[in-house]
Amino acid sequence: MIRFRQKQRSFTFERGFRLERGLALAFAIAASTAGLTAASAQTIPTIRVGWTVPAEDAKYWMMKRPQEFPNLGKKYNVEWVQFQGTAQMVQAMAAGALDCSTQGVLSLAQGAASAGLQTYIVAQHVGEKAPESFSVYWAVKDDSPIKSVKDFKGKTIGLNVLGTGIWGPLAIALKKNGIDPDKDVKLVEAAFPTQEDAIRTGRLDVGVLNQPFAARAEAKGGLRKVFAISEEIPDIVHILEACSKTFVDKNPELAALYVQDLTAGMGKALANRDETLKIVTEIFKAPVAVFDPFYFKTRASSDAPLGSADFARDPGAAANYDGIQKMFKLYYDVGMLPKQLDVKDFKHAKIFAPLKP
Amino acid sequence: MVLRRFLPALPPLLAFAGILAIWELLSLYFGLDGLPPPSVALRQVPVILTDPQSLFDIVDSLRRMAIGIVLALVFAIPVGLWMGRSRFAAAFFNPLLSVIYPVPKAALMPIIMLWLGVGDASKILVIFLGVTLPLIYHSYQGSRAVEEKLLWSAAAMGMQPPARLARIVLPAALPEILVGCRTALVLGLITMVTSEMIARQTGIGNLVFQSLEMGIYDTVYAMIVIIGALGFILDVLFERLRGWLVGWAEPAQSIIVGST
Repeated sequence: MIRFRQKQRSFTFERGFRLERGLALAFAIAASTAGLTAASAQTIPTIRVGWTVPAEDAKYWMMKRPQEFPNLGKKYNVEWVQFQGTAQMVQAMAAGALDCSTQGVLSLAQGAASAGLQTYIVAQHVGEKAPESFSVYWAVKDDSPIKSVKDFKGKTIGLNVLGTGIWGPLAIALKKNGIDPDKDVKLVEAAFPTQEDAIRTGRLDVGVLNQPFAARAEAKGGLRKVFAISEEIPDIVHILEACSKTFVDKNPELAALYVQDLTAGMGKALANRDETLKIVTEIFKAPVAVFDPFYFKTRASSDAPLGSADFARDPGAAANYDGIQKMFKLYYDVGMLPKQLDVKDFKHAKIFAPLKP
Repeated sequence: MVLRRFLPALPPLLAFAGILAIWELLSLYFGLDGLPPPSVALRQVPVILTDPQSLFDIVDSLRRMAIGIVLALVFAIPVGLWMGRSRFAAAFFNPLLSVIYPVPKAALMPIIMLWLGVGDASKILVIFLGVTLPLIYHSYQGSRAVEEKLLWSAAAMGMQPPARLARIVLPAALPEILVGCRTALVLGLITMVTSEMIARQTGIGNLVFQSLEMGIYDTVYAMIVIIGALGFILDVLFERLRGWLVGWAEPAQSIIVGST
């Protein structure tokens, strides 16, 4: 036999005083936390900059070693905001929430073609330079029957983001091999870090590898490259720096200072690999062993594994405008852009890297 | 005697050990980089908690969460109490809340970002939206359940309606409101992390999503453990506060086995 015994208590007016004390405490906490958010008065202009990971070494230097840049913090400040990806930065720039940001060629072009985003390309972070640099590639298990792109028909193919810029070169390669990219393959979206596991467990027949995951996968073994995007489009541009036209046209001197520092930042990064590795590990909170095998390295020969090398960087952070124009055309040809774009519309007369004081 | 003292702690400890054992076995079975064993992941917990930048990130997220919850309390409790005492208010707000409730608040982040920018304000608004509805609902239920006799007595003594709401309805509804607060605390923690997914400068999301993007899974799992522990600690602290504020309303139950 179980019996519940319950003590009846009730509300009284006197108990309300304890509540009032509690509320007073809560408001005191709220007031103090709200006070912490009040921004301190700034006397120098601030540029709102979006960034993401990885491979934006010039910005990482500016973030983590601002004392190395004479203008940064003295003539202007940067409000750094990290984004999940370039597509979100297009939205933020279109909304006027950012002045400059990292962009992929496709995201920038789609922003311009579809959302009317007006930008200047002011610098380039990384691209590819065949044959010495890394090239994003699709890989399979060593024992897979897939030997070339023509074997992709009917297979499950991994992409980091559906509609991503690296899809363009593969779409062209599929078409050249008589495969309809829209009907003959199954595309599965999976973030870069998960692609290797997805290939090894058979959830993907073919997965796409980027750095540092390619280096990690190659060190472990058991995977084989099938198609690198450099085989279809050599010297592709991966990520660049774009600033809104409104911002640059209204603040040309300020924009120039920022581009000068991007130029200097790229130079410092390439000149001091050890310090860059330290900065990168600070930013990513990852051990140096993740980056050391490939960072800033080139392939020893054209037979060397792609994962032994890094993307290509221009010492002055110069954008490859011709390469960008080719990519605009490619994306238009495969139906990823609604209209043709001219890279001249994305280039300011004076403000572009390399820019020196 | 000693055994009886520690007996209540045994089930949660067993549950925790069970989860760790299952996690370890799954990790061994699948052998995936994306599922490191707890013996590896948990080693990152002290590393994160002794890193000043990581601690700053955690505190900054909690600061935004605190602001979001306090703003929600200021807005939701009066609205809920009013709904409980006014048919018009209930009829006005109920359909709105039914529509808004199922919308995933973190999914609004890109839109909110367009209105408020990418700074703290947009993240605090997402937290505010995430925690407001349970607070309104529980305040509403608490307010509805207030004994009419208390209100009649106060009215008879000359207390005006706003004073009755503040000095009678609010304290009497407090036990129910605090149930809503407990739910809000958990939802606040969830929306705090998800609000930092798309755009961030600092915060717990910074640690989680950065590690995820770089495939540093031991840190990802360590952060999940830390977030879980934060939730547990906040809940324990809140229960203490709740006991202090509304201990009078707790039904002190005892179970007597074998008696007639």
